Amino acid sequence: MNRALPEMLHCLSGPGNGTDITVLERQRTRVKWQHQEQQNYFGVFLEPSQAGQVGNFQDLVGDGRCGSVLRHVVTHSVKPDPGLENGWPELGRYELPDLGFGSAVLMNGSAAGFEMNSTITRTSSCPHTEAQVAPEAKGKVSEPAEKMSSTVGRESYKKRKADKVQNTKVVAEDDAKDKRSKVCAEEGESKITTEQTRTKNTTTHPNNRETSADTSRENSKASEVQKPDYIHVRARRGQATDSHSLAERVRREKISERMKYLQDLVPGCNKVTGKAGMLDEIINYVQSLQRQVEFLSMKLATVNPRLDFNIEDLFAKEIFPACSANFPTIGSSSEMTNPAYLQINPAQQMVACCGLEMGVNTPDLMALRRTISAPVSLPETYFDASCFTQLQPPSTWDADLQNLFNLDSNQGRSISFPSQPFTGSIEASNLKMET
Amino acid sequence: MRSPSSLKQEFLKRWMRGLQRCTSSKKDMNVLERKKVIKLSADLAIASARNGTTSWSRALIANASRDNDNRILAERILGPESDILIKRVSTSVGTVSCNRKIRSKKILKRSCNSVRRVRKGTHLPQKVLAKSIAKRLVQKRTQILKRLVPGGEFMDELSLIEETLDYIAYLRAQVDVMRCIASATELINHMNIGGNKMV
Repeated sequence: MNRALPEMLHCLSGPGNGTDITVLERQRTRVKWQHQEQQNYFGVFLEPSQAGQVGNFQDLVGDGRCGSVLRHVVTHSVKPDPGLENGWPELGRYELPDLGFGSAVLMNGSAAGFEMNSTITRTSSCPHTEAQVAPEAKGKVSEPAEKMSSTVGRESYKKRKADKVQNTKVVAEDDAKDKRSKVCAEEGESKITTEQTRTKNTTTHPNNRETSADTSRENSKASEVQKPDYIHVRARRGQATDSHSLAERVRREKISERMKYLQDLVPGCNKVTGKAGMLDEIINYVQSLQRQVEFLSMKLATVNPRLDFNIEDLFAKEIFPACSANFPTIGSSSEMTNPAYLQINPAQQMVACCGLEMGVNTPDLMALRRTISAPVSLPETYFDASCFTQLQPPSTWDADLQNLFNLDSNQGRSISFPSQPFTGSIEASNLKMET
Repeated sequence: MRSPSSLKQEFLKRWMRGLQRCTSSKKDMNVLERKKVIKLSADLAIASARNGTTSWSRALIANASRDNDNRILAERILGPESDILIKRVSTSVGTVSCNRKIRSKKILKRSCNSVRRVRKGTHLPQKVLAKSIAKRLVQKRTQILKRLVPGGEFMDELSLIEETLDYIAYLRAQVDVMRCIASATELINHMNIGGNKMV
């Protein structure tokens, strides 16, 4: 495998256009020969003038083995098409980390993504040394690489525009980013980024000096901090490439991403596309929810003359199971929750049955509060005292409530449960309790 | 995103606690007062559950404490940790609002200029016209949304959308829990009435 790469690279001899190859290309190269060992489609290679840089590179390279391979890679780096940015100075400067391939690949953290350079560095770095690490990483990379082959055209466009991007901070492929993130997730990062910074610093390319330096600095920053400060964006074909519009584009993408979340959250938003329509739906939804809250609080105020919601009572009566008839977990959860509250008022004996008594509330409330604040497991004896035979000691308040309020799927369902099923049980329990 | 069920749990817990703290003092309240109390305690419950991480929760608490009559109620509802919470909220809101006031003035100036610029242009191509119309629509709606979401007036679009997401999740949880309790209480009342009749 190791030998294949240099051979392949040799085959790829082409006019040295340029100086730099993008990380993407490098990665592709690597993946290609890794998995296919065939001619890749990259076109361009480094100019022989880069040999000098290679020399520098070699100095940086610690591993002699890697060095030779890398030199090959460097000299024969390929680009999908000639117009590729000269702005990729990193080329020669990879530091070969002994480390895993994966880290190179990426992503300095989340959104920013990765430095293409780093990925290439990684990919091209000692394949043999990282043979173990590489395979899984490469495996991941290979999928994207294959994808990449299909998107070469697009990437080539992007690369062509890369020249214009030189002024911008960073460049990254969105899709490559995704792939990198996949790999990155496995491997982690940082070492490469630090090395990358070093390599970048030694670059002699004037064009993207600032950008590469910036990115390298950013990478090093990113390597220390998981999330990078900079968002790396690449201008697409036919789009303006000044930093303002790029930043604007990033912002717009973020907004559209969030709007997608909102689409899932707000029912009925799927049919509408476009910001204005979706905003309209969102506004209507929020307004309707707010109105519902008002209405429900008014209802609660009327239904409850003295604002004492004895949750324990409510639970005890298995009301919730009834109203949670639509809910996935019903019976057991109610039984579990009930004991938690039953414990509170042993003396009361389900005064709840008689409704929400006012006078006795304070001690109950205190007890309830205590219960609420500290999940407890009910004593078994009390279970017997209560009429709920099928009780199981609840684990915690939280677990119970969670079961009870597993309303995820029940949005918008009307609570108009039929009264018959539970009234029977409730009355039965009432009788039992009173006896 | 936080799980909705745990959100509801948390909300219910705090809400009940707040209500208990509140009702222990007052004896008789008319319907409106009760409704206010219920709503207020619910709002504060969820807002405190967020612990000041989201802007709308901070704004809710801030609004509640601003009103003098509400303030006492709010403090009582929030309980022992109210002081800390209110302080934290007020400081964060205060500094932010100052910045925002400045920022909003700048934005206002800028928007006035841009509007003037647009009007000067006489014949814009169809596409540009449509785009500007769409933009204005979006802006109008964003304004409305900003009014709806508490504390949203000063946010930029991105954070507004995030806050809206959170706020919607909260409203849903609130509606579900309240509905549950309302129906349960109703049921109990019916039962009681029925039981009384039987007896």
